[in-house]
Amino acid sequence: MIFKLGDKFEEHFIVSDETYNGFIQIFKDTNPLHTDENFAVEKGFKGKVMHGNILNGFLSYFIGECLPTKNVIIHSQEIQFKNAVYLNDELQFKAEIIGIYESVNAIEFKFDFKNATTKTVAKGKIQIGIIK
Amino acid sequence: MERNEILKQVNAIFIDTLDDEDVVIEETTTANDVEEWDSLTHIQLVVAIEKHFKIRFTSKEIQSWNNVGEMLNCIQEKGI
Repeated sequence: MIFKLGDKFEEHFIVSDETYNGFIQIFKDTNPLHTDENFAVEKGFKGKVMHGNILNGFLSYFIGECLPTKNVIIHSQEIQFKNAVYLNDELQFKAEIIGIYESVNAIEFKFDFKNATTKTVAKGKIQIGIIK
Repeated sequence: MERNEILKQVNAIFIDTLDDEDVVIEETTTANDVEEWDSLTHIQLVVAIEKHFKIRFTSKEIQSWNNVGEMLNCIQEKGI
C-alpha cells in the first residue's frame, strides 16, 4: 500500500473566470445567486456566489491528478459548504488520510478548503479505491 | 458479543449502506439474494463493518466468505 494513515496533501486553487464561465457553459446553472451581482448582494453576500460544485471539480482534480498513483477511482464523497466562495478567491485545500481499508483497497480522506482569510468554505470526506 | 447481536448490527449496516429499510439478512444470505449487493456496494459494506466494529479484514478473509454466516465467523474471530 503506497498510502499511510495520516498522510497529508495540500493544493492551491483559484476560482478563475475560466473555471466559473466554463462551469456555467457546461452545466447551464445560471441561477441569479451565481450570475447577478445585485441579486447576490441583496441576499446578503459580497458578490456573485460561485457554484459549490466547482469545488467538487477541484476534488476530482486532486484525486485524479495529485496522488502518487493514477490507479484511483472515487467510491463516495460528502461535502458541506460552510461559507460562500467568490470569483477569483484563492483556496487552500488540505486532505489527510483517515482510513485505510486494505482488504478492499479503499482509502478515506478528510479534506477542507479555506479561503484567503483562512475561513473554511467547505469540508468533507472522500473515499477512493485503488484499482489494479 | 452474542452472534445474534452481531447479526443485528450487521443488518443495520446493510440497511444503511444499501439504503433499503426492508433488507433482512440471515446466516445463509449471499450477494445473489440481495439485489443491491453488487461489487461496489460490497466494498462499502466491508468498510462500514470494519469501521463499526473497529476491526480490519484481510483480502484473503473477504474472498473466503460464501455467505453472511462466514462473514460473522470472521467478525467473531476478531474478538467481537
